[in-house]
Amino acid sequence: MLWLVAALVLSGAGMSWFALAMPAHWQQVFAEPAARSLRGALRMLGAAAVLASAGCCLQADHASIAVLVWIMLNTGAGVAVTLTLAHRPELLRPLLPFKLRPRRA
Amino acid sequence: MFANFRQAMTWLHTWFGLVLGFVLMACFFFGSLSVFDREIDRWSLPDTRFDAQPMPSFDTMLAPVFERLQPHPVDMAATAGRVVGDLPPPETMSLESLYAYTTHRDPVLLVGGEFGIPNKPLDPADDHLHVHGWATIDPRTGAKLPDDQLKIGSEFFYPMHYSLHLDWKNLGIWIVGLAAFTMLIALVTGVVMHRKIFKEFFTFRPRKRTQRSALDLHNLTGVVALPFHFFFAFTGLVIFAGAYYFPVSHSLLEPLHERHEIAEAERTGLTHERAGVEAPLASVDAMVAEAKRRWAERDMAGEVGFLTIDHLGDANSYVSIFRAGTDRVALVGEAIYFDASTGEVIREAPPRSSVGAINAFLTGLHLQHFRHWLLRWLYVLGGLLGCVCIATGFMFFVEKRKKKHAATGNLGSRVVDALAVTTVTGMVIAAVTMLVGNRLLPAELPARGAWEMRIFWCAWLVAMIHAAVRSGAVSQARINPAWREQCWVIAGLALAAVALNWITTGDHLIRTVFIDPYWPVAGVDLSLLASAAIAVLAARRLALQERVVGHAHEARSHRPPRVSRVGG
Amino acid sequence: MRVPQPLSMNGAIATNRPFALAARVVLALVGGYALTWGFVALGIAGLTALGNDFHEAEMALLLLAFLVYLGLFLWAFVTSSLKLVVLVFGGGSVCMTACAWAVQRALLG
Repeated sequence: MLWLVAALVLSGAGMSWFALAMPAHWQQVFAEPAARSLRGALRMLGAAAVLASAGCCLQADHASIAVLVWIMLNTGAGVAVTLTLAHRPELLRPLLPFKLRPRRA
Repeated sequence: MFANFRQAMTWLHTWFGLVLGFVLMACFFFGSLSVFDREIDRWSLPDTRFDAQPMPSFDTMLAPVFERLQPHPVDMAATAGRVVGDLPPPETMSLESLYAYTTHRDPVLLVGGEFGIPNKPLDPADDHLHVHGWATIDPRTGAKLPDDQLKIGSEFFYPMHYSLHLDWKNLGIWIVGLAAFTMLIALVTGVVMHRKIFKEFFTFRPRKRTQRSALDLHNLTGVVALPFHFFFAFTGLVIFAGAYYFPVSHSLLEPLHERHEIAEAERTGLTHERAGVEAPLASVDAMVAEAKRRWAERDMAGEVGFLTIDHLGDANSYVSIFRAGTDRVALVGEAIYFDASTGEVIREAPPRSSVGAINAFLTGLHLQHFRHWLLRWLYVLGGLLGCVCIATGFMFFVEKRKKKHAATGNLGSRVVDALAVTTVTGMVIAAVTMLVGNRLLPAELPARGAWEMRIFWCAWLVAMIHAAVRSGAVSQARINPAWREQCWVIAGLALAAVALNWITTGDHLIRTVFIDPYWPVAGVDLSLLASAAIAVLAARRLALQERVVGHAHEARSHRPPRVSRVGG
Repeated sequence: MRVPQPLSMNGAIATNRPFALAARVVLALVGGYALTWGFVALGIAGLTALGNDFHEAEMALLLLAFLVYLGLFLWAFVTSSLKLVVLVFGGGSVCMTACAWAVQRALLG
């Protein structure tokens, strides 16, 4: 059960990092232009989180079920991140540690 | 034909998507409800609101049930038309094979069988003709559930999503097949059309004008759930491929199929025909115990999901015991076959081949016998995302064209909008009205199920008429008020359904969630409340939009006419 | 004297367009289905002739059927020549179905 919660959180984080790697969405969340250097790192972080989520799903269930749960969790995460960006983008700020966030002028 | 590849794909997506989209709405909506079909059954049949039961003892509980089982009048009538002469009286018919079926979500057990008839078939190819009987029983007592009680989930919503209840010559199954095929076409063509598919993956701009935000939502729900949509449409087609869509082995290759059946029967010892020699039935309970022991030995301890006995009462009779696939995607498996008169194991089903395993995975992922509540709810999410995708597709179609149609007097947008209301809010109204009717109709009403179905279809018809009558606004490039009005109706009906459940059965939410938890009914009630809340939010937003669009329309119509041609 | 045909914006002949479209749709749906049927039949019969289990062959071909049908359907819409579609779908389905029937006859002796 806890494995599934972890999988859910990791999917959500992974999708959020994928979104933040896009300049338009970074702008929505931080109201500042994106640093190009961070884009690659964010994509890698997103991929790692999504893969880790797969690992958690496999710990929780039989492989045939785990793959379905993983795909659907990512679908749900994609929707959740999109709706958050559309209505309350600032909620995604905590996903970046303080040091890396754009400094306010 | 078309100027380029992309134009061809766009045309296909637009027109096939539009026409078959109305059918697909039904498939996705009722498919989503079908994920929790047994739970809806519990809500609609209060007598079955007890805990899920495992397969009961055959020797003590089921044997008497099968002795009492009668040919079903519906099948008697259906078979009478396919034989020479009259059928013998049902009480004289003997049971030749039987089955019992349950899953981890079923409190009640489905049983049935085939009765032998001496009549010859009218069509010689129609061989192995039997009359079928079936019943739903309470596995704790063996009592039979009355026949005219409709399981609204598994007997109405579920068949609705694959056959539209259009059973004449399986027309509904064919229409749904075409719709599912169209879904595949729409997904492929949609991907081709959507140039910025990765860049716009997380894009949704709700504050832009309707045409833009509807398209954003259409793209979002289509792309983010693309694996779900593709696999459900594809596996749905695969499930019915052998029997309906490509019945090659029952037509062109029937002789080869027959040869295979006979060879299989010889190879496996599961004989195809009766011997004509009578033999008693050994203890089936002992066979079930042996099957469970063998599964546990293979590290796959489990419950019985499906049990059949073929050639009942004959020397060639065999018992097949299948394990319920509760912990994996494949439906039932690990079959163990027993000689019915001696109780000895004839055969254990071998592990599936690669093709068999792929097939079992694909059909299993669609038919869902697994025990995984998170995955079930994620499936409902996927199904509802599909509904939103189709609905926003309609909205985009109308928004893009309604101004032009208003200017030229073309009725196209109005018709599409009215049909969209009918298949989006109208369909929900029909479903919830049916649940309300289920609580309001007298408990002892004969043919109660038939009345509930009539209520469903009538409610849908009324919703369609309402949508059509109110759609005049679309001809003036405004919003059809039927959307908002039907949202309010949904909210009212959903709240009424929850209240009526409380009043007529005493199972209110405090009781089903806290005092005496019963999640099937609590889940349906909570879903109805959530639906009401969403409907109210939607109605209020629509009211706002209508006022905005209405003011813009007023401003336009009061402006002095523009001189459009210079020197004209 | 040749009467000039009216042209639409993308150069196609406009007068016959609804009919041509309808013909293309029917051809793609029905013709594609027929060719897929032939493919499934020949596939099952052929795989069985090669020693595979009939039921396994049937499962494999039914899994492929709709993917093949999808490809054929889309192809029918992007090919400019309607005649080519008729030839491939009509000729192909007849050939494959006939071959499947012939293979079955050979197998059953």
